[in-house]
Amino acid sequence: MTADYEAFRAEIAAWMQQHLRGEFESIRNCSGLGDAGYDPKLAKRWEQALARGGWVGIGWPKEHGGRALPLAQQVVFHEEYVRAGGPGRLGHIGETLLAPTLMAFGTREQQQRFLPGILAGTEYWAQGYSEPNAGSDLANVQTRARLEGDSWVIDGQKTWTSWAHESDWIFVVARCEPGSQRHKGLVMLLVPLRQAGVAIRPIRQITGDSEFNEVFFDGARTAGSLHLGAPGEGWKVAMALLGFERGVSTLGQQAGFEREMACLIDVARRNGAARDPDMRQRIAQAAATLDALRCNALRVLAQDEAASGGVPVSREAYIAKYVWSNWRRDFGRLAADVLGAAACLPDDDPMAQKLRQVWLFSRSDTIYAGTNEIQLNLIAERALGMPR
Amino acid sequence: MDFTFTEEQVALRDSINRFLMKEAAPELLREISETSGGRSRELHAKIAAQGITGLSVPEAHGGVGLGDIDWTLVTEELGYHAIPDSLVESSYVATALLGSVPEAGALREQWLPRVADGTAHISIEHPANPCVADAHLADLILAIRAGKDGALELHAVSGTGLQRSTQVSIDASRRLAMLPQKLAASTRLLTGAGVQTLADATLDRAALGVAGQLVGLAQRMLDVSVDYVAQRKQFGKPIGSFQAVKHHLADVVTKIEFARPVLYRAALALQRGDRHRAVLISHAKLAAGDAAWTAARKGIQVHGACGYTWEVDLQMYMKRAWVLDAAWGDRGFHKARLGHELLRDGAPLGPAATLQ
Repeated sequence: MTADYEAFRAEIAAWMQQHLRGEFESIRNCSGLGDAGYDPKLAKRWEQALARGGWVGIGWPKEHGGRALPLAQQVVFHEEYVRAGGPGRLGHIGETLLAPTLMAFGTREQQQRFLPGILAGTEYWAQGYSEPNAGSDLANVQTRARLEGDSWVIDGQKTWTSWAHESDWIFVVARCEPGSQRHKGLVMLLVPLRQAGVAIRPIRQITGDSEFNEVFFDGARTAGSLHLGAPGEGWKVAMALLGFERGVSTLGQQAGFEREMACLIDVARRNGAARDPDMRQRIAQAAATLDALRCNALRVLAQDEAASGGVPVSREAYIAKYVWSNWRRDFGRLAADVLGAAACLPDDDPMAQKLRQVWLFSRSDTIYAGTNEIQLNLIAERALGMPR
Repeated sequence: MDFTFTEEQVALRDSINRFLMKEAAPELLREISETSGGRSRELHAKIAAQGITGLSVPEAHGGVGLGDIDWTLVTEELGYHAIPDSLVESSYVATALLGSVPEAGALREQWLPRVADGTAHISIEHPANPCVADAHLADLILAIRAGKDGALELHAVSGTGLQRSTQVSIDASRRLAMLPQKLAASTRLLTGAGVQTLADATLDRAALGVAGQLVGLAQRMLDVSVDYVAQRKQFGKPIGSFQAVKHHLADVVTKIEFARPVLYRAALALQRGDRHRAVLISHAKLAAGDAAWTAARKGIQVHGACGYTWEVDLQMYMKRAWVLDAAWGDRGFHKARLGHELLRDGAPLGPAATLQ
């Protein structure tokens, strides 16, 4: 953590300043598709600009086209990206979830087919895990897949699928052994979304926007070779992918939180909330917890890097999602209190807009990617070894 | 202090509950909120026919002449059924305000019978709420705002021909607008030190009305959550059978039942004109807001991702709770009032004294 990366920092800042302009001016500081004015076509062009600049896959091994930068430099990149107002990334499901899983479980052909599209920002991925009856109980997957000639044929439904409407491919956990139960008999398939057998229906969120979808598979097809890992071992692959969710991808999020904190302090100073003693204490507490979160994230990543994979997840990694999601939900409440009566109104002030968005969006933080209740069970059972 | 309600009060609450359950179902409110005006004349006429719009209007003007304690049970029901809050502002807060201004005799004659029969609506502008709820359909707006010398003035502004700039709220059931910065001198009804007293009383009564609605909203969020966790199955059983889920909703009912007595005590204090009424109302609004925020937070948690969708009714109740919590004095304002009263020189403290 002590290395001097000032030159690298300056390089990123300069690149961002040079490129996040012109047509991309309108998506500066946008957190994602939920933002008004975040045009997906523009977001994809931005991904491609990043790719041309060499900023996609910076931590990937060189053999897969990455730059194999050490962790400290990846941290610097995420910090500078957010500091410069870099928008929420459309390509992160492919870059940070699927790609490492492909590297770990994919065949040479699969890697050669899919990694370049992710690296170039030309192919986008969605995650097909949750189903109407498989939420917290993910192993209750009902979507079925069968081999027919040289194709997999898929029937069933996925839900809460982020960005499916803007994606090209989806990785799907499906049951490939009829009559199998729970974690057994599953397969992870790579399925093209743009085909007759797939229907996508947006779900409207409390914000009024639609970032996630229901995805229906009715005789959808993919090539017989596009299973990731062996058929029947889909659960192992699916869980490994979730492990990557705890990895470097948290850094961008972390930097985003710090930006939101700065935003909140700015608004509180301007609207007088910062003079209120109770508010001052809550803001100080939130900032302190955020700092601890950042320290923990860096510690976990450093351990992972030193161990170079293959080690059991440490207990400090298990607590991360629980802590950050509760921190952010409470931060959203603090944001609403700082805005006061203005919280329910739209505003010309971009900082206040941002806080309002964080407030509403953060209602979902303790639910998606494993609810609080599931996280606490994991901490108790896996980190502490308590009985199931 | 006796916390039991009279048979008449309980009967009134129950009949309003039955009526709203039948006539103001969530599907209907959702439909109404998607219309451009966001209000239904038909529903409003039915509510008026039940006598709810005339509860505070004196009998001489065609109403029932009820007071703050009766209203508190009613506001809980209105909150429970997510009826737009401007009903409370017009029929309760504004009606009481008109009743307390000796100079408003002609306005009372003109407007109170129409408030009672549901054909007129009065909105309120107050320094605590620069945005006026339902100003777009107001026939009369009572505006309390600072005049040239900084002292408060009371204006009675006719809605006819008045410019109003609409503000979009995150709560689709809430319709807000700003009035012009300058009001004609001819609308000025009252100036002088008395206006501050009126402004304080209006804020207190409106904050109590919000507190009642927040308790009702918290109760509704709890009820829909209890229903949901009994139906939703994961791991082969209803999720309501898991301790983690049970404890969430047990926490909510605890908050609600600790807000109710505080709310009722504040209503009694306001009706009797007790010296500490303002601080007791602040306490009630804080406790009710806490119950409502907790019910929203735990409610969405036990609903899982469904609770974050537009389709599930929980969102309507959550949004109303969040925006009402910030209306008529936000958390900071009411906490500060409580703090000042407790910590001031000579504040009565100890048994039978603290906050009594």
